[in-house]
Amino acid sequence: MLKRLQVCALSVLLLVGLSSCGDGLSFAVLGGDRESTTPIDNIPEDTAVAARFLTQATFGPTDGDIKTVMSKGYEAYLDGQLTAQSPSHLAYMDNRLAQMKLTNPSASLSANQFYESYWLYAATGQAQLRERMKLALSEIFVISLVDGAIDARGAASYYDMLGDNAFGNYRTLLEQVSLHPQMGRYLTHLANQKEDAATGRKPDENYAREVLQLMSIGTVQLNNDGTVRRDGSGAPISTYTPADVSNLAKVFTGYSWYHPAPTNSTFFGGSRDPNATVRPMIFYANYHSVTEKSFLGVTLPAGAANGPNDLKVALDTIFNHPNVPPFMCHRLIQRIVTSNPTPGYISRCSAAFIDNGSGVRGDLKAVIKAILLDREARDVSLSRTPSYGKLREPMIRLTNWMRAFGATSISGNYLITSTSANTSLGQSPLSSPSVFNFYRPGYVPPNTRLGDQNLTAPEFQIVDEVTVAGYANTMQTVIGSGIGSGSDVRSAYVRETEIAHDPNTLVDRMNVMLLSGQMSDALRARIVESVASVPLPAPTANNAATVATARLNRAKLAVYMTMVSPEYLVQR
Amino acid sequence: MSHGTHSRRQLLKVGGGLSILGAAAPFAAQLAAAGSAVSQSAPDYKALVCIFMFGGNDANNMVLATDNDSWTRYFNARNTGTDPIALMPVGTAPVAVGATNPLTGRVSRANAPDAWGGVLPIIPRTIQTIPTSSGTRTFGLHPHMGPAKTLFDAGRLAVVANVGTLIRPVTRAQYEAKNVSLPANLFSHNDQQSTWQAGRTEGARTGWGGAFGDLLNGMNGTKSLFTAVSTAGNAVFLSGQNVIQYQISTGAQPAVVINGQSGTSLFGSSIAPSRVRDTIRDTSAASLYAADYATTTGRSIGAAADLNTVFASSAVTGVLTAPAYRNPITAAAETNSLAIQLQTVARMIAAAPTLGIKRQVFFVSIGGWDSHDVQNVAQPNNLSKVASAMAYFDEALANIGGVNMREAVTTFTASDFSRTFTTNGDGTDHAWGGHHLVMGGTVKGGDIYGQFPTIGMDQTGFKNPDMTSSYFIPTTSVDQYAATLGRWLGVSETNLDMIFPNLKGMVSRDLGFL
Repeated sequence: MLKRLQVCALSVLLLVGLSSCGDGLSFAVLGGDRESTTPIDNIPEDTAVAARFLTQATFGPTDGDIKTVMSKGYEAYLDGQLTAQSPSHLAYMDNRLAQMKLTNPSASLSANQFYESYWLYAATGQAQLRERMKLALSEIFVISLVDGAIDARGAASYYDMLGDNAFGNYRTLLEQVSLHPQMGRYLTHLANQKEDAATGRKPDENYAREVLQLMSIGTVQLNNDGTVRRDGSGAPISTYTPADVSNLAKVFTGYSWYHPAPTNSTFFGGSRDPNATVRPMIFYANYHSVTEKSFLGVTLPAGAANGPNDLKVALDTIFNHPNVPPFMCHRLIQRIVTSNPTPGYISRCSAAFIDNGSGVRGDLKAVIKAILLDREARDVSLSRTPSYGKLREPMIRLTNWMRAFGATSISGNYLITSTSANTSLGQSPLSSPSVFNFYRPGYVPPNTRLGDQNLTAPEFQIVDEVTVAGYANTMQTVIGSGIGSGSDVRSAYVRETEIAHDPNTLVDRMNVMLLSGQMSDALRARIVESVASVPLPAPTANNAATVATARLNRAKLAVYMTMVSPEYLVQR
Repeated sequence: MSHGTHSRRQLLKVGGGLSILGAAAPFAAQLAAAGSAVSQSAPDYKALVCIFMFGGNDANNMVLATDNDSWTRYFNARNTGTDPIALMPVGTAPVAVGATNPLTGRVSRANAPDAWGGVLPIIPRTIQTIPTSSGTRTFGLHPHMGPAKTLFDAGRLAVVANVGTLIRPVTRAQYEAKNVSLPANLFSHNDQQSTWQAGRTEGARTGWGGAFGDLLNGMNGTKSLFTAVSTAGNAVFLSGQNVIQYQISTGAQPAVVINGQSGTSLFGSSIAPSRVRDTIRDTSAASLYAADYATTTGRSIGAAADLNTVFASSAVTGVLTAPAYRNPITAAAETNSLAIQLQTVARMIAAAPTLGIKRQVFFVSIGGWDSHDVQNVAQPNNLSKVASAMAYFDEALANIGGVNMREAVTTFTASDFSRTFTTNGDGTDHAWGGHHLVMGGTVKGGDIYGQFPTIGMDQTGFKNPDMTSSYFIPTTSVDQYAATLGRWLGVSETNLDMIFPNLKGMVSRDLGFL
């Protein structure tokens, strides 16, 4: 077992743009020895370093998880997480409906119950890495409850499916995504019919196009390190043509609702089985294209409708395309560690995707370990590079609060409805505006320092003058009184009120739980001064309530000031 | 005004940065320098408003050629599938739901064209001949776009035909021979949205609305932050080399105040609000993400006082309120977000004199156009929302604080792309060229500009010169469309050539609708 991780430490911290180490790449490291190799312990050196790891690998550090990582080390913690199972969102929904019907017999499920299950398991689930991976995958293999065609119960099963495959094989994930009825509804290949030469009708190209562009290979050819392959004139080389898309669209014909006794009518949604929204789509030969299908260099000859074989060949072809490893690695690294990974980092992750060490391609266990144990994720010194890290996703900022401060749900159901408004968090799980997610992997924020260096920062796509205010105001309420119906989810700040008499100790705690030990002196001084300014009377026989309020105010103020600080907003 | 000198200094900075990175400049790097040539004696106020239809509007069902030759081929292509999307011909009465439409033989449903009646005839002032034969070509609008027909007839709305992203003119033969330069990543949503807005694929940092703003924001005095305003989140369209887009809320207050820094006390501390203010605006962090976030927060705080005060004035509160909206198919009350966004734009225009603003570019949007399926449900309601929101905006502009501002504002549509001419059974797929609408008091409305394409799929004895596969090859480029709008706003020919380097290769540099 790997006891020590090899890490490339940069002897000079002044970096411009991207940095890299050990790959023979030379991205602008200014001055000094370019690199030296020093080992980094598998056991974090202190609680702040453990918290930093948990900030990447979970929905936010807790005192308990910090202890676990401190005692077991990164690898053993990850190995435990890779086998931990998520509770089922679908089961939550079904139980919740039964509960709702006790008071309202005509109750029905909506997106709100899915949101409840998301917050419940993100905040309290033991399989934290799997929970985090589900969210990451849901932002790559996107379906959205914003679309009226998406059924809430079906969405819960889709989210479960992402979790079931989070540490499985990408090829299986791709197939289960392709056949899930909610994806079929969202990208409209459910009940997609073969072409009809007589009338000119053609198959729906929606899924065929987006599975290539957004979920597997992208529009341009990539090297294993994620850099773009170019032709002799310097132009990026396309991965596919319109003809590839229209031919692949024929593969995705003839799939529709599950039914125990399928007929032409059930293809179009007749006699809908109660579980059709959660069971994989089934093949209906009558509607599957029988003409030749040529895409990505393979040709399926004309002949009898053989949907399962066509699908297998198509998915195998996509899976084996050389773009998939760097494409998926780049996206997952962006969700978990940093917006601008170096080519070396992507390349090391791609190697794990291509071969997990046992000759298996597409093993997501190997991929997530490669991402989280890479020196570019673990080396704390790299975090001081200006371009390193990522803006924290608003949905994860909120769970960070829940977990760090032991917030609990009064009802037990995390009664938090949509947080999508730009005056709220600007996003809700499984609720992006389109299949292009809340933000794009290639988003370069204009008129910013990041943009001036042509750096990507996906999460900045939802940062504007309104959303920054929306977030700050939302957190003021959340921290002050809680969130959800009747402030259902709230914290008593037990640990924080205990130390509230000592502003420095209180701020030390903020620094570990929220900032991975990265708090600046300026921020510390502002918070300490503000906290100290909240009068805390000496306890007497009859001022217990006043003292408790003062302690609580000090705790809330420290949490708020940290969570709205610019240095908190970046995860590094 | 020191605009020219200031811009030159900025230019050096921006130009230097680009050359260091080695990235191609989206627009000519000397853009800002040339901006000093803007006339100081321009009229008092002008604004461009971009209505972006996210997802790719099927323009084939928005503006239709209705002469017999065109219509027959249209109807043949689209009156098929499980849920045919062919609209009914001009003059067809709506068929009551449940009754049989004699034309199609189908029982009428609320969410199918039989129930909507025929397309609405519009008569362009310039006579157009049928491309494949002779005689006068006739046209119509989608049956749920009545308010747009009214605007067209009144001469304040024009159609620009078959607009799309192009590097140079392309013929069908050239396209099919693959021997002509084409925009990268055609048919890809995000890339074509970006190409429409900024001339290049995802990752672009300067759009043409922002570029216009770069040239004109010197006229906006101290409030140049409000030169490029979005109600619809970040859009590269509005980002210039200097001009930064400003996001405005459509809520009661246009700027959302950050409460934690604005009160006299926070969680029991009287000094905390000022410390919070210092913290969240602190751009000194080495982390670029932290510093950039703080910069946006600083702008948010800085703008709030200015804007919220002006919006409370009677000139702004007196702006016509957006009307209630009903879905024309379900008759259910719905929010027409586009009208609400345009209401905020109208209020901003009403606030302009107080703020000392003379040139603005706005971005509003409406989503839900990616009609791969159930097109008959989604698109008619969306088109209805666009038509009614535009008609509302036109009416609101007629009385901004007692002044008719129609001639000062030009509103235009844009979209990722149009959609396939064929149906996939109940919807359409990604395509390329499509028709667009331009509205305003100075628009030479009631007419169709550009070249309305030949309609129909290839068949024996007929090969459509304007179409390949099942999409139209644009006959007017986005650059031509944009340059015509920019010229109206006050951008010089020299600057237009710098913003749109491909403009010189196009047949005309002015489409004539303004």
